[in-house]
Amino acid sequence: MLKIRGLKKSYAENEILKGIDLDVKKGDVITIIGPSGAGKTTLLRNITTLESADSGKIEFENIQGDYSALTRQETKKLRQSIGFVFQNYNLFNNKTALQNVMEGLLTAKRMPKQEARTEALKALERVGLLEYKDQYPVQLSGGQQQRVGIARAIALKPKVIFFDEPTSALDPELVGEVLQVMRSLAHEGTTMVIVTHQMRFAQEISNKIVFMVAGRVVESGTAQAVFENPRAERTRQFLAETLVQY
Amino acid sequence: MLNTDFMLQVAKATIKGVPVTLEIVIVSLILALPISFVFALLRLYSVKGGNQFVKLYVSFIRGTPIIAQILIVYSAFPSLLASFIGKSAFAIDPINYAYIVFTINAVASLTEVFRSALQTVDRGQYEAGTMVGMTSSQIFRRIILPQALVSALPNLTNITLGLVKNSALAFIMSVKDITAIAKTEAAFNYSFLEAYLVLWVYYLIISYAAELIFKSLELYFGRYRKQVKKRHYSNKEQLISVTTDKRRSPAQG
Amino acid sequence: MRNFELIGNFLLQLLPVINITLTVSVSALVLGSFIGLILTLGKIGSSRILRGIVAGYISIVRATPPIIMIFLVYYGLPFITANFFKINIEGWNRIYFVIIALTLLFSAPVAEIMRSAYLSIDKGQYEAGIMVGMNKFQIFYRIILPQATVVALPNYATALINLLKEGSLTFTIGVVDMVAKSQMIVSNNSGGYAWQTYGSLALIYWALSLAIGRVVALSEKAYQKKRQSISI
Ligand SMILES: Nc1ncnc2c1ncn2[C@@H]1O[C@H](COP(=O)(O)OP(=O)(O)OP(=O)(O)O)[C@@H](O)[C@H]1O
Ligand SMILES: [Mg+2]
Repeated sequence: MLKIRGLKKSYAENEILKGIDLDVKKGDVITIIGPSGAGKTTLLRNITTLESADSGKIEFENIQGDYSALTRQETKKLRQSIGFVFQNYNLFNNKTALQNVMEGLLTAKRMPKQEARTEALKALERVGLLEYKDQYPVQLSGGQQQRVGIARAIALKPKVIFFDEPTSALDPELVGEVLQVMRSLAHEGTTMVIVTHQMRFAQEISNKIVFMVAGRVVESGTAQAVFENPRAERTRQFLAETLVQY
Repeated sequence: MLNTDFMLQVAKATIKGVPVTLEIVIVSLILALPISFVFALLRLYSVKGGNQFVKLYVSFIRGTPIIAQILIVYSAFPSLLASFIGKSAFAIDPINYAYIVFTINAVASLTEVFRSALQTVDRGQYEAGTMVGMTSSQIFRRIILPQALVSALPNLTNITLGLVKNSALAFIMSVKDITAIAKTEAAFNYSFLEAYLVLWVYYLIISYAAELIFKSLELYFGRYRKQVKKRHYSNKEQLISVTTDKRRSPAQG
Repeated sequence: MRNFELIGNFLLQLLPVINITLTVSVSALVLGSFIGLILTLGKIGSSRILRGIVAGYISIVRATPPIIMIFLVYYGLPFITANFFKINIEGWNRIYFVIIALTLLFSAPVAEIMRSAYLSIDKGQYEAGIMVGMNKFQIFYRIILPQATVVALPNYATALINLLKEGSLTFTIGVVDMVAKSQMIVSNNSGGYAWQTYGSLALIYWALSLAIGRVVALSEKAYQKKRQSISI
């Protein structure tokens, strides 16, 4: 349902993405792994048009064509159909948990207030934060904030949700609660693209792993194939380094 | 020693000027807010021409004393106006000139306040808005602006206090504010110290009242920033907060 | 371009009395910084009462219009010295009263600036100093002060420009400074060329403010350069 071909992006002289292909099918849980600086964050941000890619094709819903030729309408459509969970949560600081979740429903989806509220409460319930609905972000722990971030994304019923290192800003003991929410989303069949350094978690919930180094996809395949039988030397090396840390 | 009867007399006479002083402050502030907001946007979005103009304007106004601004406006405006509407320009209530000067003056500082307040809102707020499908103007109105205004409030307090203090020079434009009245009383009775002590108290009261109002606004609108009760502590955080407490406590006045 | 000519002419007439403005500002800068430093020590010190007094002082000064401060000092100080110390200072040069008033006004922001600069330095810096065996004075002089200065400089520039501008009220107690001089010029011309005259006055102040900003920015840069070359 989402198809990216030849995505390229440079900052000044540095080519950070050197032609990335990515296929996401309905119900996929894809995890992108790779060393720091590989361009994982950049990839997610360019796919979602948070940054404008230099070149590359996208096929998604009824959008089809080059990134450089996307119309405003298409960009809007694209953003509305992709949910995004940020590394540092980015909850709206001036809104309560409930208002954070309602915000997109009210503005982008133009839902009536009462309906938006019902939907938002449902989303908060799914992440287990119903009783925190009236707290402002500063009053929530990091883990809770991130769960609100997830609720905000799912409330809009996107076709696919992108997660950029959703747990890397969290204290270790708070990581579990967020992973638990993501796990349950995966079980419910939510389509997800995840960047994470949590290898065990990646192995457990992903049906597909993409390994990136220096702006290129070095290897991709099922979790089992990549983790247990990596073909590329670089993948083997990376896994050895990261898995040792457990 | 001090003549307390006279001080009481001054206090009674001066109170008639309080509404005038307040009017100058409030009207100038209300006029300056939208202008400076637009100016800040001109700067932030580097609007050709507008950006340079605002920069020069802010630099000039902030680099010159209010007395010079008063003298320029008070000497130039009436004749400028007279060339449009004739002699009646000289009959205009001088408080209008006070509004003009103090607005011009406040716009300069307010522009800088709005500019930095809008800049301090984290970019992530904008990106999050984008990703829930809001338009730029929705994000600006509903997310960026409310946060910027709250972070501008403390500086707004300072600017208001500055306005109160500057307004003490309105007498130069023959506005009958509290300073003008106290000065007249002082000169008439040849008791300067008494009159100015009373006047001082008036300014302290007005300033503190203004500060109180702004503090409660800050408290009310800034409630989303207040950590009512932290529900979770990691050991690390606790350690840090203990050490900073130790360090801060002797400094808190 | 008759206006340029006029303004040039007025500038030449005003500039000779700039020394009043400079004397007043520089004196208040030095004295005010000194008092500000003492206030800072009171504010970060351990005595509760002292902290309260300093906080009260700063808050009152902050709420006092400069012109009122000048009047209070001009009429109040002779009253106090005469009644409590039996000293008559009414014959003093009026400029002293302005300097005292401006010193009081300047000391408050200086204290605030110094305090927040001091607090901005991480306590770890102090502890690290102790652990490499420096004494208290060395730590303050070699570690804390250089860092605090960099933090304080921009705010110091703003406060200094404010001081300069407040000094423009010197004329209110009858000292012939640039403001008084410009008013004289205007009345000598029977009110003519008023905006050109006051415009010249504004230009001089603008130039002084820009110069202060410039000097502080340059010293900030020089300071940072020095620190860089040390660390290499
Ligand atoms: N806005 C930018 N301007 C210039 N360079 C950038 C920008 N954003 C990212 N980069 C560079 O692009 C490279 C890839 O960054 P990116 O954040 O995508 O890596 P990553 O794979 O997400 O790493 P990490 O695991 O550390 O998050 C880095 O070298 C980074 O310095
Ligand atoms: Mg990243």
